[in-house]
Amino acid sequence: MGVISAIGNSVADNHHALKEGTCGIQRKLDLFPTKYAGVLPFGQVHISTDSLLEKFQINEPGVTRTSLLALHAFTEAITDSGISASDLHELDTALIGANTVGGMCLTDELYNDANKKTDGSDYLSSYDCASVNLFLQKHFQINGVINTINTACSSSANAIMYGAMLIKNGYAKRAIVGGTDSLAKFTINGFNALHILSSDICTPFDEGRKGLNLGEGAAFLMLEKEEEIKGRKVYAELTGYSNANDAYHPSSLSDEGDGPFLSMQDALKTAKLFANKIDFINAHGTGTENNDEVESRAMIRLFGNPPAFASTKGNIGHTLGASGAIEAVYSILSLLHQEVYPNLHFKNAISSTGLKPVQSYTKMPVNHVMSNSFGFGGNCSSLIFSKV
Amino acid sequence: MQANIDLINEPVDKKLLAIEPSYQQIPPGILRRMGKSIRMGVGAALPLISETGSVDGIIMGSANAGMDDCVKFLNQMVQYEEGQLTPGSFVQSTGNVIAGQLGLISKNKGYNITHIHLGLAFENALLDAMMQLNTNPSNSYLVGGVDEISPFHYNIETLGGSYKKEEISNKHLYEANSPGCLVGEGAAMFVVNSQASSSIAKVTAISTLHSTDIELVKQQLKTILQNNLEAGTEIDLLLSGENGDNRTLPYYTACETLLVDDTAVVRYKHMVGDFATAAALGLWYACHMLQKQDVPLQMFKTKSTKTVYRNMLIYNNFKGLQHSFILVSVL
Repeated sequence: MGVISAIGNSVADNHHALKEGTCGIQRKLDLFPTKYAGVLPFGQVHISTDSLLEKFQINEPGVTRTSLLALHAFTEAITDSGISASDLHELDTALIGANTVGGMCLTDELYNDANKKTDGSDYLSSYDCASVNLFLQKHFQINGVINTINTACSSSANAIMYGAMLIKNGYAKRAIVGGTDSLAKFTINGFNALHILSSDICTPFDEGRKGLNLGEGAAFLMLEKEEEIKGRKVYAELTGYSNANDAYHPSSLSDEGDGPFLSMQDALKTAKLFANKIDFINAHGTGTENNDEVESRAMIRLFGNPPAFASTKGNIGHTLGASGAIEAVYSILSLLHQEVYPNLHFKNAISSTGLKPVQSYTKMPVNHVMSNSFGFGGNCSSLIFSKV
Repeated sequence: MQANIDLINEPVDKKLLAIEPSYQQIPPGILRRMGKSIRMGVGAALPLISETGSVDGIIMGSANAGMDDCVKFLNQMVQYEEGQLTPGSFVQSTGNVIAGQLGLISKNKGYNITHIHLGLAFENALLDAMMQLNTNPSNSYLVGGVDEISPFHYNIETLGGSYKKEEISNKHLYEANSPGCLVGEGAAMFVVNSQASSSIAKVTAISTLHSTDIELVKQQLKTILQNNLEAGTEIDLLLSGENGDNRTLPYYTACETLLVDDTAVVRYKHMVGDFATAAALGLWYACHMLQKQDVPLQMFKTKSTKTVYRNMLIYNNFKGLQHSFILVSVL
């Protein structure tokens, strides 16, 4: 596994920060000029784009921050997995990544190129989201199935699912799956136009919640068929996955929450688990009025009495295309260390549901974790990871 | 399928524009606010879903859906200096907007996903559908590819040298011996299931490759045929994604050298142009040709004596890097 976020540049750093209840969200943004820097809270990764370019000795032009964050997490993941160079280049090693920003983090360059105000910047082929995975393909010479998925906030959960399907159906023996997104003026303004950004640090599942904070980051995981692992370490098993659509509104969830409900229910079906076997839910919990209430109601509807749950978006913000993958890593950390991490900034339960998330670091038996990701377009996905 | 498969229109300002129908199935209030790629995608899919009945999931491939709204929002942002903006264009700019709208309009709560991997966006969507059907053999899925010639995207691609610099008639597209293609746009939608009885054609296999090495591309072609056709069986027709760009022509001619004598080679991009999900239109042509057992004369690059077509191979590449082979057969 590999991860980079506002609370750390490695799995170990993120793990430590989660245990400590560290909040990486600050009223600070120094990646690009925007009137919201210093005004709105963001979960910015604490490495500059130039440092990333230097760290990986990237000399070719046109590599975006979105790609560099992916590169960072990807490098950690394949190093950690112990995969041999020859296996990495095999025709049955797949790469499935997700992101929603692509090269749009370079808002000014995109504006100039799109409006033909220049002869063309270095980023002409970097604006679209696929450019991230094409960059990784070339950099690491990955020769199997390669794909880029965009289903808004559930993108990298779907990437994980697609990788699993490739392995299950014999199109790959292993798949490096995950996602990335970097902060961008474009998304900041877009979410602000929808009035779902909070002017304060977000408070997932709290009665007084006012919206989300945008974050950035990346995570990749190596998924392999059991027979291929050959003595290398195994962190967890992906036992359940599903994708359902709320079919209600382009940018909000229905009151009934059919999308979230169906996605959680179907994940249980594929995992062949009863609801009461889930020990912990890594919730989508963005801190918006809409998501947290609907997600809560769907959890109650499915579980009756929901298990322990928490959102990590109070630590790192909403990392959009990366969130499914980052939260998958966090879910696996819970399984590995038999512990759950607190949902930060919580004070009072949502009055219509009364649900309270985990509020302090807790050692407890954890056999099965469910991780939810719900996005625009009604795209809802749920993953279940189990202890090995 | 009611269609004039033989139709060729001239480019307008070097663009092979889509001819849009009146979209009677989309409520006018919603239609008014849709960008072109959304109109085309939704407009092609809704009548198909009506005709075949509800589907269990919606799987889209699109490289630049929403791109135009993306830059519209960007321009708004610059004009109003990040002031209070209207979110309409932002919401329409996300890559999954077509699948999302289709789910919404058809009230479909099933599997819903959008693949955006540029020149292999459609192929991944098709592969996804094949895998979903393997897991759920009694289901059916809507699969499609759609992209538009968004003015802003066109500017970016023009600056990058993707398109013909010279004025050219699409009737002479393949003789030009110059870089660049003619840009096109469109949508092709399919309902796929595991039931031969209700189907037009069968997608037997798909394989994809990222490489600039012609030898690897040739190897990929040999492998997909070896693995999926009975010994001694050959394909009857190669549906080639040749697009008039002399930089990528070598890949197409290399594939042709592997064909046995009397294999037809047929082209379609002089009719629809080239764009990331053009292979979706290729599949549409292949299905049509297999169903009618007929190929319009003007589409042939190499004729054959065959009158019966059983197996067709669609080969496409996008910018000489992303390659795909789709083997389509009669049932």
